[in-house]
Amino acid sequence: MTASTLATDNILEIKNLSKQYPGFFLDSISLSIPKGSIMGLIGENGAGKSTTIKSALNLIRKDSGTVTFWGQELSSSKQIKEDIGVVFDGINFYETLTPAKTGKVLAASYGQWNSRQYADYLQRFQLPPDKEIKTFSKGMKTKLCIAAALSHDPKLLILDEATSGLDPVMRDDILDVFLEFVQDAEHSILMSSHISTDLEKIADYIAFIHKGKLLFCKTKDELRYRYGIIRCRTEEYNNIDKSDILAYRKEDYQWNVLVADKEKAKRKYKTAVIDDATIDDILLLYVKGEQTK
Amino acid sequence: MKGLILKDLYNIIHNAKSMFFILLFFAIAFLPSSGVQGYILTCTILCTMMIITTFSFDDVSNWTPYALIMPLSRENLVAGKFIALFIFSAAGTLFGVLAGSIGIRIASAFMSVSESAAALPLGLSAIVSLAVSTIFGGISIPLVFRFGPEKGRLLVLVSFSIPSIICYLIYRLLIALGIALTDNLITIFLYCSPLLALAWNFAMYRISCYILARKEF
Repeated sequence: MTASTLATDNILEIKNLSKQYPGFFLDSISLSIPKGSIMGLIGENGAGKSTTIKSALNLIRKDSGTVTFWGQELSSSKQIKEDIGVVFDGINFYETLTPAKTGKVLAASYGQWNSRQYADYLQRFQLPPDKEIKTFSKGMKTKLCIAAALSHDPKLLILDEATSGLDPVMRDDILDVFLEFVQDAEHSILMSSHISTDLEKIADYIAFIHKGKLLFCKTKDELRYRYGIIRCRTEEYNNIDKSDILAYRKEDYQWNVLVADKEKAKRKYKTAVIDDATIDDILLLYVKGEQTK
Repeated sequence: MKGLILKDLYNIIHNAKSMFFILLFFAIAFLPSSGVQGYILTCTILCTMMIITTFSFDDVSNWTPYALIMPLSRENLVAGKFIALFIFSAAGTLFGVLAGSIGIRIASAFMSVSESAAALPLGLSAIVSLAVSTIFGGISIPLVFRFGPEKGRLLVLVSFSIPSIICYLIYRLLIALGIALTDNLITIFLYCSPLLALAWNFAMYRISCYILARKEF
């Protein structure tokens, strides 16, 4: 079951989004984010995650397809942008600014800006308001961007590799902020990340983009509880019904075979060792292994 | 759009300090010889050029994509740059008038200062300096939007010849039409220079909007 089929009330709907560059084709991506949920976008470098996000935000022109936020195109109303908070990888403010001055710039830009909330986030993240950004660590800069994104009362947060390069403790702090954000059933997050453990911790849905194609968009629980990896030798691999295999990879003495229903596989291949599949396992098998479906 | 202008002002404040000392140095070095009028023009042009520096700051901090996810249109982004340009130019003119007037009084107390009889009145000098500077600055904006601040900065120097060539062509045209350029006509033309600057910058604004509308980030 995909996110889009589960959804009745979507914050973001991307339909057949395509974009061609020399040597790259984003091929008809469709996904939707229901209210109150976190969608994780995974894929290898250059898979098309950022292109999908940038196309959705009109930062690059899409060749075809539609992107709607609350049923409306982004260009149709400035109010839609008030309701979207975005955090890119890296800071977007010149480094001689201070958080206090950044707050003033954003207060003059967003109608919904909440200065008190911004001050609270600065305090919570231990960001000195009057210190220049150039003195901040990468983690502090990311926190500043998150504080800025959350302080205009957005309903959708879009994070493009926002947690990359942060240490585990800081990532954990930030993930807690995101979980807090989606406690409001009207809020959602679209989060692209290389760090699958982050997504395993907070995402409700995982969309996997590989070489510009959306391979799947499923609930995290479906991936976690239904997907499995059969670890076997060549003789056992030859006996596996090929229609059960999603992807496989041969290592030195072992075959790793990804299946969509591990319980069914356990019943069918009683002697085989079948492990739970992590998101990393799935990603590696699709990217580095051979796909059959 | 207020946020965009505020951001440029905050960013440029560091440069403004060094600019202040440069303008003071120019006052000491050139005011006694070139007069207040020349000094006002110098101040205005130097301050106008700070607009290109703001583009460099935007480029380094990857600001533009971020600005585009704010509740602003691409036209707002362009308009913000033209307003910042006007603010920088006007600040330069104001500084030139004040520092020039004070400086020339101080200088004349210690040395003989050359004052040309043909020099423009102070108010008209300020108006013309502002118009000329915004015309030059106006060309830089579409160029920097198109080519980025590094290439754009070089092209701006070359492009400064464009208004000069246009002025020369108009001058030749007037001669060809048998219209004599009297002092009176030149004064009228100088008083009209703000209108020319307005029309020129509107054209540059439209070109910049066209360029930015096609840009991907």
